[in-house]
Amino acid sequence: MTTYHELDPVEAKIAARDVSVFYGDQQALDRVSIDIGTEYVTAFIGPSGCGKSTLLRTFNRMNDTIANARVEGEVRLDGVDIYRSDLDVVQLRARVGMVFQKPNPFPKSIYENVAYGPRIHGLAVNRTELDAIVERSLRRAGLWDEVKDRLSDSGTALSGGQQQRLCIARAIAVDPEVILMDEPCSALDPIATARIEELIGELKGRYAIVIVTHSMQQAARVSQRTAFFHLGRMVEYGKTSDIFTNPREERTKDYITGRYG
Amino acid sequence: MTERASTDAGAADGDRAARRLKARYAAERRFRALGLAAIACSVAALLFLLVTMIGNGMSGFRRTELRVPVDFARAGLRVEPARLGAIDALPALRQAGLSQVLGQAAAASLGPDGAAELDPDAWREVARAIIADPGLLQRRVVLSLPASDNLAAAQRGDGQRRLRPLATRLAAQGKLVRAWDPGFLTRADSTHAQSVGIWGALKGSLLTMAVTMALAFPIGVLAAVYLEEYAPRNRWTDLIEVSISNLAAVPSIIFGLLGLALFVGLFPSWRSAPLIGGMTLALMTMPVIVISARAAIGAVPPSARDAALAIGASRIQVVFHHVLPLAMPGIMTGTIIGMARALGETAPLLMIGMRAFVATPPAGLTAPASVLPVQIFLWSDEIDRGFVERTSATIIVLLLFLLAMNGLAIHLRNRFEKRL
Repeated sequence: MTTYHELDPVEAKIAARDVSVFYGDQQALDRVSIDIGTEYVTAFIGPSGCGKSTLLRTFNRMNDTIANARVEGEVRLDGVDIYRSDLDVVQLRARVGMVFQKPNPFPKSIYENVAYGPRIHGLAVNRTELDAIVERSLRRAGLWDEVKDRLSDSGTALSGGQQQRLCIARAIAVDPEVILMDEPCSALDPIATARIEELIGELKGRYAIVIVTHSMQQAARVSQRTAFFHLGRMVEYGKTSDIFTNPREERTKDYITGRYG
Repeated sequence: MTERASTDAGAADGDRAARRLKARYAAERRFRALGLAAIACSVAALLFLLVTMIGNGMSGFRRTELRVPVDFARAGLRVEPARLGAIDALPALRQAGLSQVLGQAAAASLGPDGAAELDPDAWREVARAIIADPGLLQRRVVLSLPASDNLAAAQRGDGQRRLRPLATRLAAQGKLVRAWDPGFLTRADSTHAQSVGIWGALKGSLLTMAVTMALAFPIGVLAAVYLEEYAPRNRWTDLIEVSISNLAAVPSIIFGLLGLALFVGLFPSWRSAPLIGGMTLALMTMPVIVISARAAIGAVPPSARDAALAIGASRIQVVFHHVLPLAMPGIMTGTIIGMARALGETAPLLMIGMRAFVATPPAGLTAPASVLPVQIFLWSDEIDRGFVERTSATIIVLLLFLLAMNGLAIHLRNRFEKRL
């Protein structure tokens, strides 16, 4: 059974239709359709192996890097199918940024980490502009005050939470429209997690944010829309408040009450 | 009663535990001792090598010289100064009678029997000194000239018996001495142990290594990058992988035959040239570089690739901005190991004719040359005792060369790692 909800008044930023993903013979995602809006933070929840990360990775075609992965169905970004053969993946990924589970700053300086994206996409014509982009991105990621005096230090020398915020700064430096976050807090301590969640709240509205999380509390705290996945299918999708207080599906209820997962 | 029994059992348990603990500690100690013994063995082998090499080889940096006073101002050697700058300065000096001047000076100082034991090639050294400093022709100087190999042997107390009294006499007069021979590092091969040098072979080695590096490194790294980052995993790439691994294990002499058939066949006039030698050694070094580079590239964490891809880097940007810098320490290590092996390689170079007697340092990549290991091989065939010492000295130079290369490798690796 596939449920999918048209978002009420807003145009969908990302519209997935009947998306199935196969890893070799293994089907990881089964005909999922979902609309992602710009105004919201959308959370994907569900037990391990339910396909939520797989769906997230179809939005910027990171599944392309897995040798035997195959995607069926259609994913549209602003109405344009991103699996069209003439679509440039590099440009797509500049529009759809991604933050990973484990903080993965480049083993370069903090400055270089943020400046790398703008540089390869030619977003700055000179050093002054690049400096401005780096500062703006680090400010938005709430990291500027902590690192402004040591921009030439290695990004890998920061603490885990700082590294993750550096990765967020790196993602927003290329001015994306969508930011995908794949369990961004699972490797962080509670204080760093709180900091990231706060940051997600600040970034909301400016970017369409999709976050995959294992923590239902986190989904409840940061998101306005929640999709629940189970065994490769999307079971339920709706307002976060509805999902957590008044789920329509029995399986959703069982999961959020901790019956399994 | 039951209580008593249980405490007994407890004591027995404790006993067993103590014994097990003791056995574990003993095993631990044995293992440490074995490890230490292994280290001691390798250190002893290294020390033995170094001590014997230095012991035998240091005398190879000396030679037997005759001290001959020559008054060039009175000898009347006439050469136009302009000709000394020309390429044919050596033959010009010979024509002007340099050997005769030296012979007369030697006869005057050492007596006719002593003059006869001057190295026949001695005039070349003097000629080079004159070319370097034409003012010499106006001065009176004491020249240190190489003695003949026979006289050198007589001075050591072996060789022809008839020369020994002469050696003793000249030595007593201070005219026959064993002296440091810095020229050993600047001359080329010769038929006489007293006037040989290794600059020819050293320069040949340097040129050959340059060619090998210039070919094997880019080809090897590009092949590794393609195989790791671009090539699909299928039967063909498996086949290529197996072939490359096999290539790395092929005996080097086979590469020599390949070089002979292919490169010497294509460019017959460049036989014995560093260019051909370098190309042949590149064939041999490339698989080593491919294998180590693939391992290093494969060890780059996928998260680094993901990070770059997710921000919109193209494949080639991912490779050159992220993967290669991270893999570089490993690639460098593999390359230096491959180059060190190529530097010490003799067999394939013998096949392509780099065993020729080359009395002048190679002028360029296409000039005939020798290399250090082949030079060692050639000299070790000589009967004269002088060559035995020279061989050991050359081995020391080769080992220093290798040591410098490995040191450079470690230095570069540390610098690359620090930058990350």
